[in-house]
Amino acid sequence: MTRVLVPVAVLEGESVAAGLMDLLGTMDVTVLGYHVLPEQTPPDQAREQYEERAVSALDDLAEEFRAAGGDADSRLVFTQDREKSIDRVADEVDASAYAITGATGDVDSLLVPVSGDVAVERVVDFVAELVGDRAIDVTLFLASEADDAGDRLAAAADRLRTDGVAVATELVASDRPFDALVDAVPGHDAIVMGEAAPSLSSFLLGDEAERLASATVGPVLVVRNERDEEGDGD
Amino acid sequence: MSQAPGGSNVAGEEPVAETVVETEEATVTENAELERTIGLSGGLAIGVGTMIGAGIFVFPGLAAGNAGPAAAASFGIGMVVALLVALPASELATAMPKSGGGYYFISRGLGTLAGAVVGLSLWFGLVFATAFYLVGFGYYAVDALALVGLAVGQGWVIPVALLFGAGFTVLNVTGTENAAKLQNGVVALLLSILVVFLGFGVLDALGVVGQSSAPEQFAPNGYFPVLTTAALVFTSYLGFAQVATVAGEMKDPGRNLPLAMVGSVLLVGVLYVATIFVATSAFGAERLATEGETAMVAVGRDLLGPAGAFAIVFVGLLATMSSANASILSTSRAIYAVSKDALLPKRASRINLKYGTPHVALGMAGGPILALAATGRVEILAEVASFLHLVMYGLICIALVALRRDEPEWYDPDFRVPGYPVVPILGALASFALLVFMQPLSRYVGAAIMVASAGWYFYYARDVTLKGAL
Repeated sequence: MTRVLVPVAVLEGESVAAGLMDLLGTMDVTVLGYHVLPEQTPPDQAREQYEERAVSALDDLAEEFRAAGGDADSRLVFTQDREKSIDRVADEVDASAYAITGATGDVDSLLVPVSGDVAVERVVDFVAELVGDRAIDVTLFLASEADDAGDRLAAAADRLRTDGVAVATELVASDRPFDALVDAVPGHDAIVMGEAAPSLSSFLLGDEAERLASATVGPVLVVRNERDEEGDGD
Repeated sequence: MSQAPGGSNVAGEEPVAETVVETEEATVTENAELERTIGLSGGLAIGVGTMIGAGIFVFPGLAAGNAGPAAAASFGIGMVVALLVALPASELATAMPKSGGGYYFISRGLGTLAGAVVGLSLWFGLVFATAFYLVGFGYYAVDALALVGLAVGQGWVIPVALLFGAGFTVLNVTGTENAAKLQNGVVALLLSILVVFLGFGVLDALGVVGQSSAPEQFAPNGYFPVLTTAALVFTSYLGFAQVATVAGEMKDPGRNLPLAMVGSVLLVGVLYVATIFVATSAFGAERLATEGETAMVAVGRDLLGPAGAFAIVFVGLLATMSSANASILSTSRAIYAVSKDALLPKRASRINLKYGTPHVALGMAGGPILALAATGRVEILAEVASFLHLVMYGLICIALVALRRDEPEWYDPDFRVPGYPVVPILGALASFALLVFMQPLSRYVGAAIMVASAGWYFYYARDVTLKGAL
């Protein structure tokens, strides 16, 4: 089954909303408990003090995920670099997506932006599997001024319909896709989006998914890009 | 599977031991993973950042006063000794990529007594070194104020050093989230300014630009001062061992540790020698000596006018600051490594929940640092720091020989010293030989700290066994 990584700042009391647990019931889940340390603290030093507490919190979380449906396990990382740990563990467990937890009730509708250079097919396949035969509405969203934008949206919608998913589409002509997307969020319980390639704006402003999550409060599932065999150097 | 450390200290605490798997990216224990986040550039920045402050910005005046232009040779000798130790230390670090550095190697290779003496005196060695960097920083701060028209006089050197020492400690307790990235940037900036400055200086000294300088006798005081100066300035090479203290956090340690340690010694060594060459060529060793701790500012002014002086003051502030801050962090790691093995109370390595920082260990670093900086004795501070480190370096080399002779099952370094056993034996001899050339007071203080450390071991942790354990 497809696996989703759910990173949780376990020692800061971050929890996973019941709605997100239910939504991920069709998936296998790896709960990644992490604790970020300032650089003056060796990770090992923190482990000695906090490991027990963190492990017991994580076990509880994994148990709840199992109760919600899919298989679930957990990993615990002490790190100084959250992104790097999430990336590494996602690679190791071969997760297709990772979650940014957020507050939500029952998830009845998903917003799925297909803007930009994301791998639309991977996103759509993931959404189809995530929704399964449940009554969850999907809104495919595209903010673009390109001529073929409508075709692109319709093609993606057709693919989902063949899997029996209830799909609506929303096309917005806008040169500020991010703001348009944030405007489209109300009325949806969670967002599924593709991972954007690193760009200047993501370097300056932060990762788009993270920004979206903090702008909308709700959970965001980020479908990861296909990884090269070799990790980067350094 | 290795043999575990055992025994317990007076308070009944035992060394922490756990089976771990080291991968390139993480250390995996039974329940948790510890991310390795420092890359090669980060490791080089730690080494270079710790070292560059002292050699270039504090010592040239003092060294030239002792040895004349031959001070360049003193720095060269220091580099050779540092290299002879950096190579064995690299082998040990790749075999045991754990936090704790030299202390860890020695306690595992030579046993608990040697480990306790080195571990505790490394704590004090770093405290002395940090106090030395802070006083150097104080001199530059006073010069900086003078440049902007606030001539406050040398009386302010110590107060400024104390103020910043306290500031660094508080900053580290409350968490400096981006200090590592900042440190990398500072080191890059330092290196580029220095290369330009030294490049110009070397051309000037060779008479290619500007007027050629008067030739001077290379070693006006004879060759003995060259050796005593080498002992004094060895503090400039302490940083490479700090790379090993973060071995547990370094990515791909088998490759990056040796490169970072040997690379940083070579890099700063070449810069030091070039600096002394430029400085003594600019206007002679005698005048350099009268300029004291901030002689490089005068060199900058001589070469490039007020802009040169300003650049050197600015870079000097950055460099001494980065050295001081890096060593405060190393000190708290040294305390952690020792307390993990039950040689100090476990409380010493507690982390506070609010900031996630080791506040006890940082306090155990900051307090003594301030007390020592208050003395303002630059040469003694530097020499005691060198003394305690040199003893550790000598023992690192011996630990390597001991481990190789009686190779434990787990001993499988990715990097092996070329020229074994000659290199480690020479490294040990050279390290101990430099001790002989220090001022008597420095040797007494250093020896007293080691004796006190041994006394603490016999009182507190006599039953702890660490030898041969991983």
